[in-house]
Amino acid sequence: MNILNIQRMSTEDGPGLRTTVFFKGCPLKCTWCHNPESILPSIQKEWFQVRCIGCHICIVNCPAQALSVTENGIDSDMTKCKLCLKCVDGCPAGAMQQIGKIISVEMLFNEIIKDKAYFNGSGGVTLSGGEVMAQTTEAVKLCQKLKAHGISIALDTSGYTQYANFETLLPYVDLLLYDLKVDDALDHQRLCGVDNAIIKSNLIRLSQESVKIWIRTPIIPNATDDVKNIKAIATFLSEYSIRFERWELCAFNNLCIDKYARLGQSWEFEKTPLVTKDTMALLLSTAQAIVSKPEVVSFTGLTQLEEEVKCTKQ
Amino acid sequence: MDGIVKMKEPKNLSPRIKWLRNFYFEGVKRTWNNEYNCYSDGKPWDFLFDELTYYIVPETIPFYQTYTSSSLQSAEHINMPDEFWQLSLKERRATFIKEAIVNHVPVEIIPNDLLCGARFNMLTSHCLTKAEAKDRDHLVYGKNGSRKQEVDYYYYGFGNDGATSGHLIPDYQKIIDHGFVKVFSDLENRYQSMTPNEQNSSSGEQIKAMMIAATMPRDLAKKYAVKCEEEALKMIDPLRKAELLQMKANMEIVPWKKAENFYQAIQSLWITHMLVMADENYPGPGVSFGRLDQYLYPYYIKSKAEGMTDELVKDILGCFWFHCNTAYDAQIRVGNNGITAGFGQLFNLSGCNAQGEDLTNELTYILLDVIDDLSPILEPKPNVRIHKNTPDKLMDRVVEMIASSQGAPFLLNFDERSIAGMIREAKEAKCDDLINFANVADYASVGCLENTMVGNDRSGTVDDNLYLYKAVELALNNGKDLLPKKNDLTGQKLPIKQHGPKTGELEELNTFDKFYNAVKIQTGFIIKKSVEIYELSERIRAKYGNTIYLSTLVNGCMEKALDVTEGGAELSFVTIEGVTYATTVDSILAIKYLVYDRKEYSLNEVKNALVNNWEGYEIMQAIAKNRAPKYGRDDFEADAIAKDYMEFFANETWKYKTKSTHRQFRPGMLSWNYWASAGFVLPASPDGRKQGQFFSNAICPSNGADIFGPTANSNSVGVALGGKSENGDFLEYRNCLPNGASHTITFNSSLLRNPDHLNKFKAFLKGYIHNGGTALQINILDSNMLRDAQAHPDEYKHLLVRVTGYNAYFVTVGRELQNEIIARESHQQY
Repeated sequence: MNILNIQRMSTEDGPGLRTTVFFKGCPLKCTWCHNPESILPSIQKEWFQVRCIGCHICIVNCPAQALSVTENGIDSDMTKCKLCLKCVDGCPAGAMQQIGKIISVEMLFNEIIKDKAYFNGSGGVTLSGGEVMAQTTEAVKLCQKLKAHGISIALDTSGYTQYANFETLLPYVDLLLYDLKVDDALDHQRLCGVDNAIIKSNLIRLSQESVKIWIRTPIIPNATDDVKNIKAIATFLSEYSIRFERWELCAFNNLCIDKYARLGQSWEFEKTPLVTKDTMALLLSTAQAIVSKPEVVSFTGLTQLEEEVKCTKQ
Repeated sequence: MDGIVKMKEPKNLSPRIKWLRNFYFEGVKRTWNNEYNCYSDGKPWDFLFDELTYYIVPETIPFYQTYTSSSLQSAEHINMPDEFWQLSLKERRATFIKEAIVNHVPVEIIPNDLLCGARFNMLTSHCLTKAEAKDRDHLVYGKNGSRKQEVDYYYYGFGNDGATSGHLIPDYQKIIDHGFVKVFSDLENRYQSMTPNEQNSSSGEQIKAMMIAATMPRDLAKKYAVKCEEEALKMIDPLRKAELLQMKANMEIVPWKKAENFYQAIQSLWITHMLVMADENYPGPGVSFGRLDQYLYPYYIKSKAEGMTDELVKDILGCFWFHCNTAYDAQIRVGNNGITAGFGQLFNLSGCNAQGEDLTNELTYILLDVIDDLSPILEPKPNVRIHKNTPDKLMDRVVEMIASSQGAPFLLNFDERSIAGMIREAKEAKCDDLINFANVADYASVGCLENTMVGNDRSGTVDDNLYLYKAVELALNNGKDLLPKKNDLTGQKLPIKQHGPKTGELEELNTFDKFYNAVKIQTGFIIKKSVEIYELSERIRAKYGNTIYLSTLVNGCMEKALDVTEGGAELSFVTIEGVTYATTVDSILAIKYLVYDRKEYSLNEVKNALVNNWEGYEIMQAIAKNRAPKYGRDDFEADAIAKDYMEFFANETWKYKTKSTHRQFRPGMLSWNYWASAGFVLPASPDGRKQGQFFSNAICPSNGADIFGPTANSNSVGVALGGKSENGDFLEYRNCLPNGASHTITFNSSLLRNPDHLNKFKAFLKGYIHNGGTALQINILDSNMLRDAQAHPDEYKHLLVRVTGYNAYFVTVGRELQNEIIARESHQQY
């Protein structure tokens, strides 16, 4: 399997304490993506300036002469780089890092099982991404092992996959964290790179099954944060009587600025400020006014707390 | 301070307790205080300050002379009659201390207070004859005396040790339930049953001295009764008058007789406890209360039935809290630094019984309320016992209190792992008649988190603090220091010395097993050395530093007719607290990685890097820091070495007993603040740490090593202690440290931001019961708040931080430690 990261004691990916496995590779390309390193299914590398001790071992080690020192630090010429990762292996400081790793189901399972004691009751594993459904065959094998050990499984998905993939995974999944980002098909195509028809139709079908569903909507300034979008999503949920336990409006944050920089990519949200509490409140009430169970709609994210801290500091 | 994070404030206090709390925090401005009163027998060779007690606080070494002379200068002379000098030393000590506290220390009532027993801090004469004083001088100051040996031992980087006061749980319940009258009559019977030869021996002297000491609380109570009556007569306010008369009535009963109700039980407890501190001439170092909510519960129930209100319960307890804090007044004019940060009048709450059933009761919650209402405050320190059957209600309360404080206002002790350690102790020390499955659940914690039995156990829990990393240093230079050391006191250079056995030139250590074995041999050596050095102060204390009154409260002393300082307690241990554990393990792991696995560097190159404090060896240092495996990441191979080294340390420790007092050495891991200062004494380490940087703390992973978060960190701690297996010591739990191990984790406050997250935190604690260690200190810190506190110390006077299980006011700890605490504010992503 190709995974990005294993995050232990995660408190933000479902109920209780969870071990979250981030899969690498995603069919969507959302302009605001918080995990840009998760989009490509292939192994990548990145360089952390703060860790670099300037020994240049990476440059010496590179058989393709792809690395050089520039005023911005170590530059990788990706047209020359063969991704042999000798620069990563030789870096004494861990400044040159591999993004993504190939791991066997067995090894991944052994990592997850280490925190079983902390999952008590409500917690468990969250398979996230990237897009898990892009590696369904492997994911099923992992889920079978986890279920055999009584571990609860949450699946965090964009919903952009053939329904057949859901059918193979659903027997093991206790909770779906399902993203509804943008309601309008054209807007979705423009902002996320794919059409959302299949995402909606999958959700309608999933809603007929018994799996628990939490809907998540990222609130991104000038992308998803208009009342019209939230109203439309709420209407969709309502019209199709989508069964969900929670609907979380997840406030935008800009903690990923450095990630884009390390990947040598620009990010159009680089200077975007955090969503205000008022906006979140407005969107929340918009959603609550339409759905049948307004009490299960909430807004989450660091913004709320960060904002308070910022206010009082000034 | 712009309220970045709201500091915990006291709340719900009655006017009485509010007044007492404010009064306490007036500090030096207070009209009354509990500063040391000093009393000498007037002999020219007399001395009051006993440096043996301070050997484990090496930063006080430069002040021994000042303490000695200033205490003598300010001493009141008590002229003892000629007959006094006919008595044995034991009886002289008991008599003098009784005379001082009953007839010389002022008897005062604090305004609004409901408890008698105000001043107790004192330094008293050692009552030695000239010949005895000469002998002791020789033992302490002689060429091979304890002073020189201890100081060299410290500056050579082995650690520190010394026969220290406190650190035990006296049998307070016996006094509350039966009164000193019972102790006295038992002693009388014991004496009568002795043969005349025995009566005239040291045994007889001990019992006679204990009889003197057992009447000390009775006579002091009489004084307080008189004082209360005087004050009552003068008092116009009828309510206060009634209170004073009630206090007088109490003093006419307890602690001589058994307590009749909750109020008297607390009064009995306080007088009995404060006299321990008076007797030891040392305020509150780990003189702990045991399971307060358990042995006070019958009194609580009885008094509630008789109409006592919860308000009164809280007022009585609030007064008790006030008095415990006055222990800090001892050196009030010196300020809140150094030794005053380390007091630990600890008590346990909740916990299981022998059947694993939970013992939480109404009083548990009331005591938690009192803590919550009074916090932030330092004493007495609570330690909540958590186990598999801890009810959700208690867990919720605990988590809620953690969330609303800057850090947990208590330590958490974990019963299953702790009990496993105590059962291991019973096996290793062959004392299963005294510690067994039927009674082990009655264990309680001392000082910070050190597990012992109650009322019959002195485990000397901070008497021997060993810097394990010294063994790696010695192994890297064939038994010699890697670098010369320096005596900071004299500025004298301490030359490189062949301390340990020759474990091989580095070329000979050509496999990892050979190197690791060399470290183990040196570890065995430093343990043996610490035992030898400890003996010096232990035998002097046994001879000249008896604590007769304390002995009346420790079971075994009367039966053996030995003072508690002579090994009189039924369970007599000295705990070797391993310090610098994770750095030591990480150093072994780094050498394995650099030299034997990757074969990139020779052992000699590593040694040269350390000698040069990594300067010129930055690449190797970076690999050691960033690429070598580390303990604390739930990494099977790394933790296997951590566990193996831990077992070795424990097994070596069990080999020794004190010669003079036959106390068995046992293993533990608590670093107090030594992990900071050790960083300057010892050289750089193979894990990439430079000289001057701090070592790892107690059983915690090295600073910054726990990159996989709190669960991985906790799992590693559990594994290092022994993990779980089919042949556990208790259930499936294994634990080779009966003392327990201090584990601190710092969480960001965002983890506790809403009810949903409080439940997640609870899940963490429940997981810790299964996978973690014996004790956990939780810090909830915000780095902004700490930086602000550094900048504006006046506004953060009450900001508590927890380091190694002891609490300190943040603004009173040194700048370096402050920075360290900020650096530890680590788990940002949560």
